[in-house]
This record gives sequence, C-alpha cells and structure tokens, in this order.
Amino acid sequence: MVAGPGGLRFVLNGRPVRSRAPAGARLAQVLREEFGLTGTKIGCDAGDCGACTVLLDGAQVCACLVPVGQIEGGRVVTVEGLAEKNGLDRLQRAFLITGAAQCGICTPGMLMAAADLLARRPSPDETEVRDAIGGVLCRCTGYRKIVEAVLLAASDRPLPTEPDGRMGARRIRLDGPDKVAGRAAFGADRRPREALELRLVRSPHHRARFGIGDLEGFRARHPGILRILTAADIPGRNGFGIYPDLKDQPVLAAGEVRHRGEPVLALVGTPEAVRKVDPEELPIAWEPLPPVFGIEAALAPDAPVVHAGRPDNVLIEGRVRRGEVETALRGSAVRAEIAVETSFVEHAYIEPEAGFAVRRGDSIEIFATTQAPYMDREEVAAVLGIPAERVRIVPSACGGGFGGKLDVSVQPILAVAAWLLDRPVRTVWSRPESMAASTKRHPARIRAEAGADTEGRLTGFRFHGDFDTGAYASWGPTVAQRVPVHATGPYRLRAALCTTRGIYTNGPPAGAFRGFGVPQAAIAHEALMDMLADRLGMDRLEFRLANALRPGDVTHCGQRLGDGVALAACLERLRPIWREERDRLAAGRGREGPLRRGLGIACMWYGLGNTSMSNPSTMEVGLSQEGRLTLYNGAVDIGQGSATIMVQLCAEALGLPMELFDQVLGDTARTRDAGKTSASRQTLVSGNAARLAGLDLRRQILRLANAGPDAELRLEGSLLEVREGGRLREIDLRRLVPGEGGEVLRGIGSWDPPTEPLDADGQGVPYASYGFAAQMALVEVDLELGTTRPLRIWAAHDVGRAVNPTLVEGQIEGGIAQGIGLALMEEFVPGRNENLHDYLIPTVGDVPEIEIHLIEEGDPLGPFGAKGVGEPALIPTAPAILNAIADATGVRPGRVPVTPDRLLAALAAAKVQG
Amino acid sequence: MYNFTYHRPRTLAEVAQLLSANEDAKLLAGGQTFIPTLKQRLAQPSDLVDLSGIAELKGIREEGGGLTIGATTTHAEVAGSELVRRLLPALADLAESIGDPQVRNLGTLGGSISNNDPAADYPAGLVGLGATVRTSKREIGAEDFFTGMFETALEEDEIVTAVHFPKPEKAAYAKFPNPASRYAIVGVFVARTGGGVRVAVTGAAPCVFRATELENALAADFSPAALDGVSVPADGLNEDIHASAEYRAHLVKVMAKRAVAAAG
Repeated sequence: MVAGPGGLRFVLNGRPVRSRAPAGARLAQVLREEFGLTGTKIGCDAGDCGACTVLLDGAQVCACLVPVGQIEGGRVVTVEGLAEKNGLDRLQRAFLITGAAQCGICTPGMLMAAADLLARRPSPDETEVRDAIGGVLCRCTGYRKIVEAVLLAASDRPLPTEPDGRMGARRIRLDGPDKVAGRAAFGADRRPREALELRLVRSPHHRARFGIGDLEGFRARHPGILRILTAADIPGRNGFGIYPDLKDQPVLAAGEVRHRGEPVLALVGTPEAVRKVDPEELPIAWEPLPPVFGIEAALAPDAPVVHAGRPDNVLIEGRVRRGEVETALRGSAVRAEIAVETSFVEHAYIEPEAGFAVRRGDSIEIFATTQAPYMDREEVAAVLGIPAERVRIVPSACGGGFGGKLDVSVQPILAVAAWLLDRPVRTVWSRPESMAASTKRHPARIRAEAGADTEGRLTGFRFHGDFDTGAYASWGPTVAQRVPVHATGPYRLRAALCTTRGIYTNGPPAGAFRGFGVPQAAIAHEALMDMLADRLGMDRLEFRLANALRPGDVTHCGQRLGDGVALAACLERLRPIWREERDRLAAGRGREGPLRRGLGIACMWYGLGNTSMSNPSTMEVGLSQEGRLTLYNGAVDIGQGSATIMVQLCAEALGLPMELFDQVLGDTARTRDAGKTSASRQTLVSGNAARLAGLDLRRQILRLANAGPDAELRLEGSLLEVREGGRLREIDLRRLVPGEGGEVLRGIGSWDPPTEPLDADGQGVPYASYGFAAQMALVEVDLELGTTRPLRIWAAHDVGRAVNPTLVEGQIEGGIAQGIGLALMEEFVPGRNENLHDYLIPTVGDVPEIEIHLIEEGDPLGPFGAKGVGEPALIPTAPAILNAIADATGVRPGRVPVTPDRLLAALAAAKVQG
Repeated sequence: MYNFTYHRPRTLAEVAQLLSANEDAKLLAGGQTFIPTLKQRLAQPSDLVDLSGIAELKGIREEGGGLTIGATTTHAEVAGSELVRRLLPALADLAESIGDPQVRNLGTLGGSISNNDPAADYPAGLVGLGATVRTSKREIGAEDFFTGMFETALEEDEIVTAVHFPKPEKAAYAKFPNPASRYAIVGVFVARTGGGVRVAVTGAAPCVFRATELENALAADFSPAALDGVSVPADGLNEDIHASAEYRAHLVKVMAKRAVAAAG
C-alpha cells in the first residue's frame, strides 16, 4: 500500500508535512531524499551506528529502522529542527565551544541523542549522558568532548565565549557551525539532478577466476539499467595504487579476483533499477580458488601465488642496520625477547565512501570523500587516459578517514561511468561493501629482542616484522619502510637491525591506517622496555627516561637530532603521577578479588611527513578590494582541524585577525597541491606553507606601505592601515589594480621538509621532525571474565606548540580511543564481520577519563614551533594498555586484540586465578 | 524492502482478518530486528501488518501480585516503569540492558519474544521467572513457548498479546553483552520462588534453556559459592566470532554466580 491519497501526514521540525513515500520506506531515506534534510546521516543503515538518530515523538530512534508508515500523525525532529530562529541552540553551541565535533558525520546523531536526554532530564549526571549517547558511534573524538559538551549545555553556567587570538588560541573550528547544524555536505549529501546511480558488483569469493556471460541480455531484461561496465570498458589504465610502479589494483577485476569484495562489474542506471538487482542473477561464472590467508600460509613453499610477478608473495622488504647487533646483544647484562601478532583493523569511519562525477566536455569533475585530492586527480586521469589538468577533484566534507580515504575508492569508477555515459553518476557504498572493499591496518607478525647493560643502558635491538598487505600493495611499501625506522622506539642504542617484509595474501588490501605499522611495532618495543627494566630491577619509567632520545642524540638511522625532542619532558611530566599511582596499586594489592588493577606506560616517536621523500605543500592567500582575505587551502580537513589551524597560522604570520578570512578548500581547480592528509604532516608541512603565504602577503603589504617588519596591520573594509611607531600609512585597496579573481594582492608559500635519502642500511635523514609522547594506562582486569577495562589514561605529548589546544586534545583523545580498540577489541575477519555490530569499535562506555599534558618546547622547524599529533596520539595507547595488563596479571598476551576469551585462556595457561 | 502491502490495523480482530487473508503476511512491532532483516532481503513478505496502532496490546499492570505487560510495550517503557521497578526490579534491569536507547524506544516485548533471537534478553527473563505468554488464542508457559532458534510455539495466525510474570522472592539478571549490540553473548536470569530456583540462560545456545545442574546446586544453597563445584559443559553451545563454546560455558557459570550475588 502506498501512502493514502494526500500522502502520509506527520509533523516534521514543527511543520505539518505529507510524504508520498511508500509506507515501508525508511524514515532516514525519506528525510534525505524527499525532504532534502541531509543533516540526518546514514552510516550503516542497520541501526548500529546511530548517525541517523532523530526524535520521534520526543524519543531518540534510528531513522533507518523506522518505516514511515509507523509515524503517521507523529512528530519528527531532525538536526535541522534543533537550531533556534536566531542561530544555533545552546546544545549546538556547547558542541562548538568544547570541540565536540571533529569530522562531523556523527554530530547530528549525537546532538539528537543528547537533545532527547536534556528534554527528559534537564540536569543529567555523566552516567546518564553516557547512557543517552551510548547508541551513537563516533570514531574521531573518543567521546570525551561530546560528554563534556552535553554536561555544559545542561549546566546553568553561561557558555564560555570563544577566545580571540590566532596561534595558540582555542578557536572554534571554522567548519564547526556547518557541522553542528547538519549543513556540511558529505559525499552522499549532494547529487546533481538527474544523476544516474552506480552500483558495484563485488566478488563473494576471496580468490577466484571468473567469466562474464551475456550482459546485454541481462540489461535488456532490466529496464532502467543503462550500462554494465566491465574491465574492458576502462578507457585508460585499469589499475591504481600509491606507488608509480605498483598500480596493481584494478578498477574492475579482469578475469581474476584476489579478495572478497573486489569489484567486477558496475551497474549504471536509475537508482530504483540498480538497487533492485540481485547480484546473484548476474551472468558471472565463478571458479573459486583456494585463498591464501595469513602471513605463514603466504610464505609457505607451496603457497598459491597472489600476483604473478611475485612468486614468493613478498611485495617488498625494508631494513635499517647500525652497528653490530649480535655483538651488542651478546654483551648485554640482560636481554628480553617478544613475539607479537596483530590483526586486520578496519578504519570504521562513520561515513561510507560516496560521491558523484560529472563530465564537462573533455574534462571530468568529481565530488567525493577523500584525504588526497591531488593523488585522486592523478589516478583518475590515468584511468581515463587523459591529462591530469582535465580532472577536477572537489573534496566533500570528509566523514572520517584515518588513512582509509588516502586510496581512491569511488573516484575512478564514477569517472569512467560519467565519461562513457556523459551523464552525472553518483554512488554511495553500503556499510558492508565499505568494510569489505576498503583498506585495513596491516596484520603484523613481529619478533624482537633487546638488551641492556648493568647501568640500564640499552645495547642492541633486533626486530623483524612481517606485514600482511592483503591482495594489493596500497601503502604496503610505506609500512615496510617506515617501521624499521621506528621499530626500536625512541631510545638511544649502540646497535640495531630492523627488518620488515610486506606480504601479499588474499585478505583485504592493507593500506594506510594512522601510524603505518608503527603502532604494531610499538607494542613490541614497549613490551621489551618493561621486560628489561624488570630484569634489571629498575623502575619502568626511569628506565625509559634513562634511554630516551634527547636533542643531539644520533638515531639508529644515523640521524643527529636537533632541538624539538621533548620525550624526556613527557616522561618527567608523568613521573609524579606514575609514582603516586604505583604506590596506590601496591597498597591495594592482595584484596582485589577477581578484579586486578595494573598500570602501564609506553613511549613513542613518529617521523612527520613522508619517509625520505619530498612531500611539499603550497598555500596561497589573497586580499580582495573589499578587504577580505581568502586562504586557498588544499589540505583536506578530515576532522582533525586543518581547515581551522591553517587560517590560525596564516593569520598569525600576516598579522591580521582570522575573522577577515574566507577559505577555498581542497578543490584541485582552485587550490595548489598541499599533499595528502597523512603521516601527521599537515600541521608541520602545510602549516609552514600557510605561514609562509601569510608572510609573503605581509611582505607585499609592508613594501606598499614602505614599512618595516614590525609594523602593525589593521583592515577596515577596503582601508588597510599600516602602523609603525607613531607613523600611520593608509592603503585604499580599491585603488589597487585587481589581478586574478579580483584580488589586489596574493601571497604564496611553499614548504618541503628537509630529508635525505636512506642508503641500503637505512642510514640517512628519513624525517625532518618527529613527534614524541608517553602515555600511561590504568586498567582493571576481571580474572573471571578475561575482560580488561581501561580506568584512566594519561597522555603527555610533545607537540612543539599547540596551534589550537582544543583541536590537539581532540586528536589525542580520538587517537587513544582507537588505541583502545586496537589493544582490546578490533579484529576484522573478511566475510565474518563486515558490519558495525560484529566488528567492534569503542563506544562511549569504553573510553575512560583522559588526562592530557601538552609539552610545548617548540620545534625549530614547525610553524611557530608546532608539529603534528594525529598519529602520535594513537601509537602509545595499545602498548600502555598491554603493559598494564601484564602489570595486573603477570601475563603478557602475544596476540592483539586481547579479547576476553584470549586473555582468559592466557590466564588459565599461566594459572592466574582470582 | 520493496513491493509489500502495509497495513496498520487498530484491533486484534482486524489483525486476525489480515493474517488469514494474506498467507505471506508478516507482523511488524518495533521493527528493530525485522527492518534490518527486510533490508537484507532475508524476508520478503507480501504484506506487513504493523501492530503499533493497537491500543489493547500496550500497557503494564499489576495482576495477582505479579505483572502483566502488553506485547507492544517498549523496552524503555518497561525499564522506566515505577510499577516494574517496585514489583520486579530484575525485569526492569533486564529491559534497561537491552540494546541502546534507540532500540529500547522502539523495540517491544512481544516482538522480542516472537522473534526468539538466541541472544535476546527477554527469553531468559520469561523462562527464569516462569512467565506465561498470552496470545490471541491461548496461554503458553514460557518454557513451552520458546521452541528453538528463532522458533516459538506460535501458530501462523497467532500473535502474542501480553506476558504475565509472577513475582519471585528474589531475582536478578547478569549479562555478558556484545559490546556493540548489547545482545547477550551469555545472559543468566536467576530467580528464587516458593517453588524453587530457576536459572535461565540466553545467548549461550541456539535457544534459551534452564540450567538444571545450577538450579539443583542453588536449591540446596542459594549462594554464589554453591556453584563452585558445578561444571557447565560446552557441548552444543554457540560458537561465533565473539566467543567460543568453551568461553560461553565458562561465562554461564560466572554470570550465574554474579546473578545470584546480585539477587542477594
């Protein structure tokens, strides 16, 4: 039954409306498609993520699970209905001031869940807030600032006002108002009128050959399907990949699939027609082949070969060698060895891949969710066989990336379809296909050994890690090269030998995920530090501090570090807390029953930017006759806040307030290449470019005013004042000749971190600058259940200088949440948990209190001393938790994640009982 | 979810009529399990009969010292009811532990037990308390109602109208939840009544069951320590990505002890 004549009536955001949708259509879809209210997001379409949470008769519900027939006569409120007439409501403003929205994709759902609570309980406590938002997943924030925002909104305190200032100020993120209002346009939120829909048909097999039958006949039986694309339809190169010589991943598979979820066909047609197709009806003849799963199987002598050119399934090897490691280890007073095994980890951004493509003459434009518009442009150009200049990438708001949106996803196939059909084409991946097809964190199999002398100084360090790169190379080579540089941890050593291999298997392609293999390696080196300290009878923190890299030290790559190495300060900041907590634990020992508490500590270092490779960024800033500034910012903000801090840095260098700035973001037709949002590089690299662009514009202004470098600028409409001592020069911008885009002045800045190539032994200068950190975790292990509950995390991070402390804290809290997931719950198993109820990510209940200490000693290369924190935030968390488990139980599980059943088995094997 | 006819009847008589007229009709209560099933095309009914508009299926009332709860009463209504909190706090706790607020606001008692998901919470509550299921045709004891994985004693044209729960002396529910869905990996409902001790286990096996060994031990001594010597076999227990059968067997005992401790 379709809705009765006149449609189905309900009240939407206070207005009576009628829907013409069939009664069985889901509310989420109806809100977005019929009413254009795209503030309600669809993250899973299965009631797992809560992004589509709306109020139905005042109570929060998942709009994706409500057939509209059920709401006849009801009242629905969406995020668009929250705002008051004169702007955002108190809850939305509280989200802004606390920094509770990062990527913003979960924000509408969070707001509605909180609004439900506040309507029922005007003064909730923290537990009630956590319960109320417990059904909405956030992958960015670690939930801390969201809880803080709801409590702030509920309080009777006036909301704090936004501070003034630029560098170092807790400014509200510039994209925040759009995100809390539900206005930010993510990949699925825009579509050209008359856009066709594209749906990929994917392999149900992990490895198979296939033949395609009569597609034309199939199409004839399915009116509305206009075209079915196969590998043969790709106009240019049917392959993509991060490295120029490793374009091994096909846009559409040609005759053979290497992982489950690999696309083989693309259906293009009307949305109704493509959605209706049952993939099993397609004429594809599958011949399944035995798949290769796991590193051991791939390295077996008789293993099936995943790629013909790599008979041993080894994609790449990496190596760093300094000194004689054997000698150093042999001469050690104590030695320790560790084996660690980790799993595939899914990025689980709440926004699945989505976008659209439009052909304009001999050019193509793509609007899509991405972390790397310029790389997308190169890939799409090659796939279409056209010059890159004829491809324009316009990044949508990015609903989380974490490395998973560095590889192209929807872009190439959308481009091919729009190119061939000459019609706009859109696609939105479902949650299961996003999880099956997107890249993962590399599973690692690590063995490491380290030694120390009687004085507690580290001697030698040996490490070998095999990394399962899955079916395609993706960022496998980056992992293989980055890990040996970091595998020792941030410590002084006499000798080291660190080797890695990237291994092809029939798992999902493993690519970039916050840390490029370093988080896995850190689990090993931090276990070794605890074991060595224990064997020497030394305090675990003091042992790390004694060996911590300091300015002037030489790394195992032979790089002499300059200033901007503040690991010791991180450890010293934690030291009093460490001692106090250890004493408290010691006092409580022996009367815990089945619950055992433990305290763990871990350190990390992370090279910012690409490894020994040029990775420049260029920014421009223009000044218009009207007195507005425009930052042409090609750095994609994936939630971390680059769209805000680039303006803070540029404004600081220029000496004018942020309020005068507008921005053009990411669009490859309008911004310069700022490089990828990866490797924690945007603050350092693009931040310097933004600073230099601001300085360049300032220099031009000062020249016009014939003023010295310390002059003060003021901009009042078209009147630019330059004040120096008692002297005031006024420049009327309307009298200057406008150039391109109507701007009278334009500054430009470029920066590339100074690195040097690594030789065959990994000796050189891999990175210009490093982030350092130490974190502590207090956990409680339930010996009867095998569960581990983090109770509190302390994080001391050397960030150089915080451009925006609120955003820095947000990165750290979010990184810690992902570290908790890595340590305790996240394990992707192809074909088994391609959804957000079987694949577990931390919910609000899993993230404990986090105490952050920002160490701001300034980095000599950073813009105003700042450096990146995106990946450093995550790396020490899992090692700290694992060390805390060992501290609590005496058992050190070698397999990550430490799920309850694994820990219980390990406890049983070691005969640990409550 | 395409191509079905949607009905929203107002009375049970209309429901009966619709069910007898449409052989492939399916019932829709809160939809929290059924809508995802439809989306995955695991079910393709011709007709969907939405029960949310039927007033006589709603409500919570005291009856014979116990509680009678209408089939389309939501989990949130049970969790938030002063009456349930006073007479049967263990049941209020159980309802509060289901899913997340979104699920509790729409999901219903009748929907949950008619679906009989092996990991659902309510089956443990019903069997643990020795509840009676009232249907459009008859009354069925809880143990006879849950017949297998996703299977119940309900006939094609029969619907649950209410559940009657007797008041126990003591009761508690302890659950080891899936951290995402909050479904029970293992949930144990323990109740002591004049008639003895009942221990109902959900999540562990294809269908809710009574753990008679545990019941016997607790009948002699209603304390957690009474279960120390009892072993729970892993045979026939569920095995999935979240837990092995052995781990589930272990959980049955631990959660039973914790439920006994909570019952006081």
